[in-house]
Amino acid sequence: MATRLLVVEDDDRIRSVLRLALEDEGYQVSEATSGEAALRQFRTKPVDMMIVDLMLGEVDGFTCIRDIRKVSDIPIIIISARADTHDIVAGLEAGADDYVTKPFQIKEVTARLRALRRRARTPGDPEVPPDIVLDSTRQLVLSPSRGTLLRDGQDVHLTLTEFRLLSELANPPGRVQSRRALLESVWEHGFFGDERIVDVHIRRLRTKIEQDPGAPRLIVTVRGLGYRLDPQ
Amino acid sequence: MSAIFAVTTYALAQSYLLSQRERAVLRQAYLDANYVRGRLESAGADVPAILTAMAPTSGSALVVHWRDRWFSSSLDVGRSSIPRSLRDVVADGRPASIRTRIDGVPAIVIGVPLPSVQASYYEVAPLRELQENLRTLGVVLTGGALVAALAGAGLGVYASRSVVRPLNDVAGAAAQIAGGRLDTRLPPTRDPELATIVGSFNSMVDTLHQRIERDARLAADVSHELRSPLTTLVASVEVLDKRRDELSPRSQRALDLVIEELDRFRRLLDNLLELARVGAGLAPEAAEPMSLWELLEHTLARSGQTTAVLSGARDVQVTGDKLRLERVFANLIDNAERHGGGLAAVTIVGERDRALVLVDDDGPGVPISERERIFDRFATGRTARGSSSGTGLGLALVSETVAAHGGAVWCADRPGRGGRFVVSLPRADARPDGATTAGGET
Repeated sequence: MATRLLVVEDDDRIRSVLRLALEDEGYQVSEATSGEAALRQFRTKPVDMMIVDLMLGEVDGFTCIRDIRKVSDIPIIIISARADTHDIVAGLEAGADDYVTKPFQIKEVTARLRALRRRARTPGDPEVPPDIVLDSTRQLVLSPSRGTLLRDGQDVHLTLTEFRLLSELANPPGRVQSRRALLESVWEHGFFGDERIVDVHIRRLRTKIEQDPGAPRLIVTVRGLGYRLDPQ
Repeated sequence: MSAIFAVTTYALAQSYLLSQRERAVLRQAYLDANYVRGRLESAGADVPAILTAMAPTSGSALVVHWRDRWFSSSLDVGRSSIPRSLRDVVADGRPASIRTRIDGVPAIVIGVPLPSVQASYYEVAPLRELQENLRTLGVVLTGGALVAALAGAGLGVYASRSVVRPLNDVAGAAAQIAGGRLDTRLPPTRDPELATIVGSFNSMVDTLHQRIERDARLAADVSHELRSPLTTLVASVEVLDKRRDELSPRSQRALDLVIEELDRFRRLLDNLLELARVGAGLAPEAAEPMSLWELLEHTLARSGQTTAVLSGARDVQVTGDKLRLERVFANLIDNAERHGGGLAAVTIVGERDRALVLVDDDGPGVPISERERIFDRFATGRTARGSSSGTGLGLALVSETVAAHGGAVWCADRPGRGGRFVVSLPRADARPDGATTAGGET
C-alpha cells in the first residue's frame, strides 16, 4: 500500500514540483497550503508522513508541528531555508524527525523519507533484540519486538525516530555511542550529517522518559564521547 | 633623581656647616688672640695661667708661640699639631687657617700673628662633633634617598602602567575585533581622559557591527528570496531528467545545459552566501575536531571524484566547521576540473603543528603574476576548456574560509607538470616532539 504523504507548503510552485516528484516515487501525495489547513485535513484524512515548510504564512511551521504532535507520532520532515539558523533546532524540538534545506534535490528528500519508513515497527522480526527493563521502579519496559515503550503498562508515546534512537541506545545498554554513530544508524546520514539532530532527539527522549529531565540518569551524556543508556 | 638630590644636599650641608663652623672658630680665635695680646702686653705675663683662664670651649686647644717658646692649653695638642705651612705663613705676619687631621680627627687650625708682642696665637678646633653630625646627616640623607628612589620607582611603574594598560587594552580590543570578535567592547573607566577614548572606541565598534550585521542580513534576505525559485527549478529539472527518455535528443541536450547551468547557479549562490557570512567576520559556530582524511574522502565522493586520487597521512586531525571545509575543498576540486584540466591528486602532509593539503591538477598551472589575484572575488582565469564556467567566487571563498580557520592557501609549483594549490590548516593534534608524518611529496 502506498505511503500517504501530506505536503504543507505555501509556495505553489515548490508544492507542485514536490507532488510531481514524490508521486513518481510512489507516494500518495496530498497538499495543504497552511498550518491550519494541514491540521484540519489531518483530522479527516490521516496520513503516514508529513513534509512541513518552516516558513509558512499565517500559522507558522513550528505551531503546525507542535499541534500535529499532540495527536500523532508520524514522521515529519521539515524544509528550511538555511541550515545554520536556530530554526532547524526549534523545528526539531517542536517534534520534527529530520530536515532538508532549500534548494534541495528530490533525491535527498526521498532518501530521508526512506530512512524514516525503515524505522517502522516490525513485529515478529526474529532479529529484533528482546525486551529490556529500563527502570524497575517505574516499570519502564522497552519492547523492540512489539515496538512499544510501556510505563506501568501504559504506552509512552514516542515518535518512530525517538523509538528507534532508544532502541539503538539499548542495543546493548551501558555502551557509549557517539553522535556520529547514532546519526548513521538512526537517520542514515553520512559524514556531513548534522549532529544537532541527535542532541535534540536525546533532549526530547529525556523529557518523555526521565523522572527529572534536568538531571538525567537513564540517558547519560558522556562528555566528548557520546551518549549511554544506563538502566536503573 | 633622589640620589642626586641626596648627594647635593649632603655636599651643600657639609660645606655650609663647615664654613659656619670655620667662621665661628675664626671669630672666636680673633677674640681670643686679642685677649692674649692684651695680656701679653702687660708685664709679668704668665702664659699658662692666661691659657687656663681662657677656658677654651668645645674641645678647642689654644696654642701660643712667644719668645720662641710654645704653650698649649691642652696636653694633646702642641706645636707638632700645627702644620708647618701654617706656622710659616703666620711667622710671615699673616693670619691664616687650615683644615687638617690631628690624630685622625679633622680639625681647623687658625693662626693669628701678634707682631706687637712678637707672638703667634693658634687655635685648634676639632670638627669631631661636626663630623658626627655630618655623618648622621649623611646616613639620613642616604636612607631618605633610597626610600625616595624606591617610592619614585613604584609610583612611576604604577603611573605608567595605569596609562599604558588602557592603551594596551585598546590595542588588544582592536586586534580582537579585526579577528572577528565583533562583540568586543572596552570596559568603562573612571579616568576622564581615557573615558573619551573608550567611549569613542566603543561607539565606533557598535556602528561597525551594525553595518556588518545589516549587510549580512541583506545577504540572508536576498538568499531567502532566491532559494525558493531555485528550489522549484532544481526539483523540476530532476523530474525532467528522470523522464529524459521521453525527450528527443535535442531536448535532452537542452536539458543537460539547463542542469549544468542550474548547478552552477546553485553553487554561485552558496558561495556568495558563505562569503557574506565569513567575510562579515562571523566566527565559525560549529567547530569540531575531525579526521582530515575522512573529510577529504567524503568531499571527493560528494564531488563525484574517485577517492583513489587521495594519498598521504591518515592520522591528521583538524578543527573546523565540517560543511565549510567541505566547501573549501569542493571549490578547489571544482577549480582543478574547470581550469586545471582535471584533478590529478590530493595529498595530505602532516607537519608538527599544521596540516597541508596539496590539490594538484594536470593543467597549465597558475602563472606567478596571477597567484595573488586569483583569490580575489570575480577574478576569472583562462580555462583549459575554452569557456569560463567558473563562478569567480570559489577561490575567494576558499581564501576567506581558510583564513577564518587560522590557515592559509596559496599556489605552488608542482614538480613535473600541472598546477598545485596548497591549503594549510592548524592541526588539532599538534605534535610536541617535532615528528613529521608525510605520506607523499612535500
